[in-house]
Amino acid sequence: MYQRDYRDIIGGGLLLLTGALIAWQASTALDLGTVRRMGPGLFPMAVGVLLAGFGLAIMIPAFFRQGTLDAVEIRPTLAVLASVGAFALTIRPYGLLPAIAALVFVAMLAETRFRPVALVGSIVFLSLLAYLIFRVGLGLPLAMVRWPH
Amino acid sequence: MDVFGTLTGNIALGLNTALSASNLFYCFVGVFLGTVIGVIPGLGALAAISMLFPITFHLDPTAALIMLAGIWYGTSYGGNTASILLNIPGTPANAVTCLDGYPMTRQGRGGVALLMTTVASFVGGSIGIVLMMLFAPTIASYALSFGSADYFSLMVLGLVAASTISDGSAIKGLAMVVLGIAFGTVGMDLYTGQARFTFGMLELADGISLVALAMGLFGISEIIVGVRQVGVARIDRKSVTLRAMKPTRDDLRRSIGPMLRGTGLGSFFGTLPGTGPSVAAFMAYAVEKRVAKDRSRFGKGAIEGIMAPESANNAADQTSFIPTLALGIPGSPTMALMLGALIIHGITPGPQLMTEQASLFWGLVMSFWIGNLLLVVLNVPLIGLWVRLLLIPYHLLYPAVLMFICIGVYTVNNNAFDVWLVLFFGALGYGLRLLQFSAAPLLLGFVLGPLMEEHFRRAMLISRGNLMTFLERPISGTVLAVTALLLVWSAWAAFRQSRNPMLSVTN
Repeated sequence: MYQRDYRDIIGGGLLLLTGALIAWQASTALDLGTVRRMGPGLFPMAVGVLLAGFGLAIMIPAFFRQGTLDAVEIRPTLAVLASVGAFALTIRPYGLLPAIAALVFVAMLAETRFRPVALVGSIVFLSLLAYLIFRVGLGLPLAMVRWPH
Repeated sequence: MDVFGTLTGNIALGLNTALSASNLFYCFVGVFLGTVIGVIPGLGALAAISMLFPITFHLDPTAALIMLAGIWYGTSYGGNTASILLNIPGTPANAVTCLDGYPMTRQGRGGVALLMTTVASFVGGSIGIVLMMLFAPTIASYALSFGSADYFSLMVLGLVAASTISDGSAIKGLAMVVLGIAFGTVGMDLYTGQARFTFGMLELADGISLVALAMGLFGISEIIVGVRQVGVARIDRKSVTLRAMKPTRDDLRRSIGPMLRGTGLGSFFGTLPGTGPSVAAFMAYAVEKRVAKDRSRFGKGAIEGIMAPESANNAADQTSFIPTLALGIPGSPTMALMLGALIIHGITPGPQLMTEQASLFWGLVMSFWIGNLLLVVLNVPLIGLWVRLLLIPYHLLYPAVLMFICIGVYTVNNNAFDVWLVLFFGALGYGLRLLQFSAAPLLLGFVLGPLMEEHFRRAMLISRGNLMTFLERPISGTVLAVTALLLVWSAWAAFRQSRNPMLSVTN
């Protein structure tokens, strides 16, 4: 328990910041137009102002009450996000099978226990499954393995 | 006009579409996958639909919607399995079923509970479909006279209701709606073609991909939270044999009332914006407890306590299509995905849908019947298979889910940029969870935002910049008044809630 509700202070603060950035960007980079004939910037600017307002409304009361803050589960968060990144990096140059292998390997780092059998088994099984569903079943032109030039 | 003549004509047209070999196949695939994902705890209907959404891009619109809808109501059928056998809700809509379903399992009556909830689901779903067939065309014919101002106001009502009624803080829900609308403005401006918030990235010219947003927010963040969940289920196989499923005469007698009341409540709450199957199931349980002669039986394996919520969530699944298909205004995030699917397939949702795309609409509705029948067939005899699914450890499951998300999103446009977007929205989704913001209103705002902007600008052009048009038009004015009442009510409720803990501290 903290003296102040940091969860809502952070959340509201981030919204305030985001909203202000949107409103500023919309009013400087885009044409606002008039209410009768609205330009591309007017609606986003209104949205930004509204968002900033909600951010304030969430943040201010949070200074006057106690609150809790959840701990970030760093390891699973990083591993799961990185596995998506690994897939994005490998799919174009190397093809589907290496991308699946990279994804599964990185994803399994989320756990503290290393399971070599489960890892190899998952890669083989999922590669086969992906081949059957996306290539054979849906007939998508996905390269299975590709050598980068 | 001969209403029933038109209805039978439409039914024939729908059956013709729904019974084609390929549509039957995709209906089966949808309900099967829906059941699978519903059975496995930790993956809700929203994650299921967003995960399998990309596959439907390669199908024709009718087949795509039939499959997506099948996944949607299929999860409600499958979701009770884990609730009853393991005391873990398969999907949030089945959470209440745990209360009496699990005690039934512990008394060795798990089989009866599984069979009876399948019956409840079927009855609830079927009545929901009938209501939809009767009401959706009527509402649509009224809606044909709606103008842009009316649509704008209806969308405001939908968004406000969705963020204030559902779980959590109303102001945080509203903030998420607005954040979603902000994400919706990314891309080319419809009127001038000017790029907005693309930061020079060509990939963003068409806007943020709905698939990437939904998968990141609901799929990836779900997995991050779920990775640490350990432990393999232990299930008594004997309680789920066909023989163990035979209900007693007393079970049947006690079930009929709750099933019908649950269906009624579910049908009603399904159509309201912001209240999906979860709210419906919860309300149905609360009502059963209130009307019961002997309240002490609840929570200890009362069959009424599983029949009411299970019929309610399936009825709500079906009736939630009414506003989505008749008005083009989704009341829940899942329906927003459906709407997104329609838009991506080049179909404009709204009251014209039923006349212009009659075979799609009636084909979809008729496929609901087929899907619900298939679900009964799939659920009862195959229960052994579903139980085995519950035994798969999560560490084998989540890499598979991640793979489906990545390949799915990659194949939509064949570009890796969308996969990076999934990463971004996954991180955002997890952050929102930590800060206790609900991501569902964000999705709703994202889908409705561009439509709202279009209607707002059109209304302004028509009224020559007179903002009063929103209040002066009778439909729009009434809707906005209702919205204002809702806001006042939720502000008051929040105020009362914030006062209560203070009182309890001083006392």
